[in-house]
Amino acid sequence: MRTRSAVRGREAAAERDEAAAGAAGAAAAAGPGAAGCCRGPMPGPAATRPARPRHPPPRQSLDFWRLLYTLLKQIHGGKWTESDAIDNQIRFVKSALWYHGYGRPELYRLPSDGSAGSRELLLAFSWLLHRLGLLEQLLAWNRVKTGDETSVCTCEDDLPNSQKGTTETTPEYGLEDRVDVRYLQWLNGRLRFQWRSLHAQHQEHCKLLHKIHLFTSGSHMDQILGHFSVTETDLIRQPENYKQLLQLLESETMQLEAFLEWKQLEPVYWHWMETVLDNMAEEGNVCKSWDAHVEKNGLPKVTSGCPWADSQTGQIDRLSRDLMTLRDRLHELVTHRKAAWCEKVKAREEELQKEGFSATARKIQESVQLKLVHLCAPKKNKTHGPCRLVFRSKHPASKTGFSRSVSREPVSAVSATEVIRELQMREASLERELKQLQEECRQRLDEIAEELDGVICVSP
Amino acid sequence: MLPAGCGRRLAAALSAALGEGAERRRELEQRTARSRALLRRWDSEEDEQPQAEAGSSSGHENKPSPSELEELELLNRALEKALKVRKSVLKTPLEAQGATVKKSAGEGPAPKNAQEQQVPAVVEDVPESTKVRAVSKNPASLKKPSRYQLRAPYRTEPDVKKLQRRAPARCVSQGPRTAGKSSSKGLACKQGRSHRTTVGDRELSAPAEPQKTPGLSRSALNEQKSFSVEDSAGGKNSVAAGKQLFDAGKKSCGFLEESSKKEDPATERALGRSTSPQTVTLQEKGCQLKLPLPYRKAYSRNSRAWERCRLCQTSADAAAARNRFIERIQTTFCSPMPAFSPAEIEEELKALQDVPSLLSQYVEAEPADHPTLQREYESLLTLEGLQTRVSQYLHKLQLLRAAVESQTRLRPDCAGDVGSCSPGCVPARGRTCDSAGMLAVPLLCYSSSQELRDLFALKLQVSMLHQEIALQKVMMAELLPVLESRLYPEASAAQLYRAIYTQLCEGGKRFPVLVRDELVD
Repeated sequence: MRTRSAVRGREAAAERDEAAAGAAGAAAAAGPGAAGCCRGPMPGPAATRPARPRHPPPRQSLDFWRLLYTLLKQIHGGKWTESDAIDNQIRFVKSALWYHGYGRPELYRLPSDGSAGSRELLLAFSWLLHRLGLLEQLLAWNRVKTGDETSVCTCEDDLPNSQKGTTETTPEYGLEDRVDVRYLQWLNGRLRFQWRSLHAQHQEHCKLLHKIHLFTSGSHMDQILGHFSVTETDLIRQPENYKQLLQLLESETMQLEAFLEWKQLEPVYWHWMETVLDNMAEEGNVCKSWDAHVEKNGLPKVTSGCPWADSQTGQIDRLSRDLMTLRDRLHELVTHRKAAWCEKVKAREEELQKEGFSATARKIQESVQLKLVHLCAPKKNKTHGPCRLVFRSKHPASKTGFSRSVSREPVSAVSATEVIRELQMREASLERELKQLQEECRQRLDEIAEELDGVICVSP
Repeated sequence: MLPAGCGRRLAAALSAALGEGAERRRELEQRTARSRALLRRWDSEEDEQPQAEAGSSSGHENKPSPSELEELELLNRALEKALKVRKSVLKTPLEAQGATVKKSAGEGPAPKNAQEQQVPAVVEDVPESTKVRAVSKNPASLKKPSRYQLRAPYRTEPDVKKLQRRAPARCVSQGPRTAGKSSSKGLACKQGRSHRTTVGDRELSAPAEPQKTPGLSRSALNEQKSFSVEDSAGGKNSVAAGKQLFDAGKKSCGFLEESSKKEDPATERALGRSTSPQTVTLQEKGCQLKLPLPYRKAYSRNSRAWERCRLCQTSADAAAARNRFIERIQTTFCSPMPAFSPAEIEEELKALQDVPSLLSQYVEAEPADHPTLQREYESLLTLEGLQTRVSQYLHKLQLLRAAVESQTRLRPDCAGDVGSCSPGCVPARGRTCDSAGMLAVPLLCYSSSQELRDLFALKLQVSMLHQEIALQKVMMAELLPVLESRLYPEASAAQLYRAIYTQLCEGGKRFPVLVRDELVD
């Protein structure tokens, strides 16, 4: 049995290399920064760290770890460096797999020098392929941007700022012992001013953008777009500056064609993956409990101080608090109104029966149900990431003749009105949050004020 | 004074935020410059001076510059004088004096029970008030504040001419503003100030007109010139472009200044050669432009490839095999898998973020009185429905909380360097469930210039609020313990309290009044 599986393993490894190379080629060649990816599965850079076991770790595992690392880093928006030590990379990959909900304990028990486990990694890779739509995501994210891009969601802003705040950057004010609170006030003022300047700058930029879009309406060969972007207009003005753009476009076209080839091969790949699972089942891998790996590594379990958990719990707490206040308020309102309503009904019971009120009531019930479903409908999945700005004037009789152009299939277009509405919602939530924080501070400061002698504080 | 560690950390946080902002401005400036270049005439603008981002250079200093400190000194002295004047005169003359003083230094009528010794403290409010005015009148940013010589604008002599620094100077000199101290006196002035803002504005803006600084007058002249040329020549495009640029930068005189400098040669050339055949502006030729052939070819090949990829379906065979594989592998996962993966938890929470606000809005929208019985019934049902909804959401939050706990237990160890290895801190760039949907070209369509501007303004506002909230949390964590543990010298207790109150509760915009409890019982 062993030899058979070994042989199959080697075959599998060979096929894997090809398939992975194909897949990696299609997915990973996107974008200049992903150049490192392509070198992953091929015999590439030697291990950066001498492995502890006596034999050097097999090349495939290491390369596979690296491949997963670069792919996952791209998905998570980070920049990776090839100089990251292998165990850091492995830790990152394990963390990322946990984050996406991968639950095979064998993977998490793989040694952190990258010496074993190519088969486990293969399984994980396939799982990610499906679960994350890995290839499609990479293609979409590394898309060559020829338009005026702006992002629709506000995800980037959700990074925990505490990380930045506590880094040991020495402020230039450095040498003095103590910091005057006025300095902080000054910095704060500058910050506010900076935001205002940014606002003005953006407004101006918008005006310029709009003009360019307006002036070039009708010129684009892609009728759905209808007008040029800044990049394209600049391309006309100074074509020599944009040679790289052309090259990127062409290489992207090649990647897309590779993706189409992969789609042809897909059945083979998945069948093969099933055989890999068969092999492993034959070898009798038992799913031990997850905690077993603790004894192996000898590291204490991280039970406290997981920053991710803290931030999620913090959010949950805040939302619960808000909802509970709302619930209490609603409870009050409803009991009050219901009582009033019941009284009214009692007083006019006969009259209502004559009018056939029960039928009306049922109709009202139905309409309210519909209304509520509408109101509280879960948001459809928003597109994240950059979108190309396109100007579509509402006047059908525009001189650009746009009205005749919608012959192609409609592409996914988000309208600015929707986005504005959502942003207003977000703004309202954030302002609530800020006010709550300020209110909390006020209360605490009021308590402190009582202890200050001889001074009364009158808030504005 | 704040204890060293706390102060330094806060300063670092604020400096980091300033750095990010400066970065954004630089990037935006680059893009704006490119767009501007496109709107000008294309043939001869080769000499684009790199716009020295002086705004950002002054942004790099995290210390008030020596000139600002000098101004601060002058300001202090001026206000000392003002105080003396005020003390020596009784209430009614106070108004008159106060008007003068206020005009130049922006103070309101003195409160009766102000703390006397905080003379230098008033400093902060003057620049603040001028800044408030400046900003309210000129919300546009100045592009190059350091181009303009800073001169002390805050003399007490009603030397109104000097006061009419251009907005840039005023805006920059808000630097010393917050090197302010905490004092009730300053506050009271501020309070008075805010009541009299409109008056003050009018007072100051009136002298503003005749006292134009050279730059302003020149740009105004240019504007007039361009208007007249436009009228006479029936819309010279270059001038129109120049005028448009003027419009865009109208509020910021700094920008006017700079654009006038650049547009001047253009305007003059246009004036000189009334029919220049080489004039190529976007406005004229925009709709006839064509992209170069190689690009067009590459673009159409590319977009066709995208289309094909988008439409290409997974074959049924592959889909079946894939699903079998996924099912089987998931049976090998650890058996009590939590209901949500960490990624799903985060997504759910994100989706729930706006729910409380939304639901509150709906609740508010239900009126208290109803004309008919049917309406009342409908309203009642709606409220009950919302109530159910709220309980459902609360239940979901409980589930998510449990999921967070179980996921934390399952988390693989990453002892040590948390930053590099926890993807939870860098959430996955969002995905839509639909793989094929990801391959479609995402477009964001706007229908008017106003919409576009609103969109960007809102995005900026949201980012700013995010940052404010984060900073607020950091400051709360640092500053409140300082007050609570009394780690400060007693003498400055009141000032420190006031400063911290302002910062934490009013966002640094308004000050509380600290009244000395002088009633002797």
